[in-house]
Amino acid sequence: MAPFDIVATLGVAGSYLVYLGIGCCFGFILESSGFGDSRKLAAQFYFRELRVLKVMFTAIVVAMLLVFWATALGWLDYDDINVNETFLWPGIVGGLIMGVGFILGGYCPGTSLVSAATLKIDGMFFLLGLFVGVFAFGESLGYINEFWNSSHMGRFILPELFGIETGVVVILVVCLAIAMFLGFGWIQRLIYGRGDPE
Amino acid sequence: MSTMLNPRSIGAAFLLAAAAALALHGQPDLEQKWGFMTPEYGARLAYREVYIDPAELLGLINNDNIELVIYDVRDERDWNMFHLVDAERIALQDLPGQRERLRTLSELGVVVIVSNDEILASEAWKRIMALAKPNAYILEGGLNHWLNIYGVMDDEAAGHDKASLVAPDGTLRHPFKLALGARHAAARPDEHRVRQREYTAKVRLLKKVAKAGGCN
Repeated sequence: MAPFDIVATLGVAGSYLVYLGIGCCFGFILESSGFGDSRKLAAQFYFRELRVLKVMFTAIVVAMLLVFWATALGWLDYDDINVNETFLWPGIVGGLIMGVGFILGGYCPGTSLVSAATLKIDGMFFLLGLFVGVFAFGESLGYINEFWNSSHMGRFILPELFGIETGVVVILVVCLAIAMFLGFGWIQRLIYGRGDPE
Repeated sequence: MSTMLNPRSIGAAFLLAAAAALALHGQPDLEQKWGFMTPEYGARLAYREVYIDPAELLGLINNDNIELVIYDVRDERDWNMFHLVDAERIALQDLPGQRERLRTLSELGVVVIVSNDEILASEAWKRIMALAKPNAYILEGGLNHWLNIYGVMDDEAAGHDKASLVAPDGTLRHPFKLALGARHAAARPDEHRVRQREYTAKVRLLKKVAKAGGCN
């Protein structure tokens, strides 16, 4: 039953090769989806182009269905998958900061790497800023440590939040994704008189 | 009609159908999950790799370097009659509430499940493994076996000798004079005073204990 201990199976070097392979696939998908272009990424926030929403949410929904179907069939132990623990307020504040950075810079950390890999100057500068930010955060952590570790909720997922079956949450998330695709598309046509190109 | 049959609509319909089918199918409960895990973990029970000798449990109880959790899954009556010092009584149906704790046990964490014999403890072991796969073991022969080794005659009804471990039925086979819980001498025997037993050590820690001496 997955997840498999690939370090035990393939050794450290073998596992690094697997990580490299997955990273290459991920980077390829991001770049080929246009996520290496800050103009396309920023266009999402102005409803000019919805590819970020569509690609990301489709990926989320497909991954979610694969994970929970695999669990239902006994191929995967969901409890063994690492789920980042919830620190509610630090998470909200961090999300806001990242959102502002995304609009201002046109990238998130992952897409800036994709952009830098294709030698885009703005991507490289964003990446440089990212490293400066990481360094500044590390150096100032002592001042915000209490807040950073506050409102810890452990491994907290939507079925626990709503107190409903996982399968129902999965349906709701799929419906939410479809509703967002339709709703944002409607707003896009309202503002610009056109939808995304086919 | 063409709108309904475009690839996006078909994709959306497929995702919705897959989600609806998943909701109808449901996620596995602990029993079903154990069924999925049986090929991997069932052998450990079948070959008795997780049944530890009472002497090994006594060694764990007295080992300050490990994080020992003892779950006693018996009913309240038997618990009140006798239980090990530091044991925690928990009913089988309440085990899911321990998921987070079991998941976050350190690499030096060891869980030992006890019941009167091995029946209830083995059932609890399956559930605990399905919950969080901790480093868990079962007391061999249960507390009936433990009391046969470390029990004190004065605590038990007159004329009672060692309990039979044959044909276990889940009952406590030691008739105590009083329900003293953890105040019986056998609740935490002195490791240095009891008769030493030969046993095969089965507990494997996930991390080596760094033994320090003197002032370290």
